Amino acid sequence: MTKTISYTLLILIILTIITALVSNFIDLKIGVFFILILSVIKFTFVSFQFMELKKAHIFWKITLTIYLLLFMAIILGVL
Amino acid sequence: MDKTQINYKNIYYPPGGILLWILIFLELITFGVALIVLVVNSKENPELFHQSRLHLNSTFGAINTIFLLTSGAFMAVTVHQFKLNNNLIASKYLKLTMLGGMLFLILKGFEYYLKIESGHTLGSNSFFTFYWLLTGFHVIHVLVGMVILLFTQNGLKKGKTLLEDIEASAAFWHMCDLIWLLLFPMLYLIF
Repeated sequence: MTKTISYTLLILIILTIITALVSNFIDLKIGVFFILILSVIKFTFVSFQFMELKKAHIFWKITLTIYLLLFMAIILGVL
Repeated sequence: MDKTQINYKNIYYPPGGILLWILIFLELITFGVALIVLVVNSKENPELFHQSRLHLNSTFGAINTIFLLTSGAFMAVTVHQFKLNNNLIASKYLKLTMLGGMLFLILKGFEYYLKIESGHTLGSNSFFTFYWLLTGFHVIHVLVGMVILLFTQNGLKKGKTLLEDIEASAAFWHMCDLIWLLLFPMLYLIF
């Protein structure tokens, strides 16, 4: 495996474990916010590193970022 | 196609191809809207959603996330090795990618079995209706992804696979990761 992919995977696994642990403190509103932020970070890592979106035209990067921000804003707004 | 000649900076050729990226956005929007509807529904009966969520095993969800992410990493290596003309190594990593998908499906199947055994089926309540539909559609995507990977593996073995093919397969497989990264926290953790 290349170093970048290995490090990305390691970060993703650590973030997944942290997300699962944080869910134990879900009674706090901040816990939900933290879980969603971690999910957005993981989503970004997969799309930009594994899917190589970092190499793509800026249109695709901006579109995906807008999608993520909109999704998170709506979810947090409703919650 | 020459493996080094794709200009990814061209708006019409994101890695995987424009058609696949249009599909990816449509899928993300569909699942995203469904998850927003889930959250809106949860406001009507938060206690029911909380109690139902507690019946899900978040450890299974986390392990399945790790299976899919690891499988996605192997897929990324497959594409990388293919670009370096290391077809044998690419083929090996593609098999590992499929193994990750299989492990995901096995654990998901076991989880479904436990849910059915305990009586938490599609019609139990609105939370479980969302759970079964969302995870069910995702499983269908993973199954389709596995079939695509099988064809890609076959083409790789025969030396017929093009970079475009392998990148499109990879993009579809990673899309399954992306959808799961939205489903996992929303269904297993936040309520």
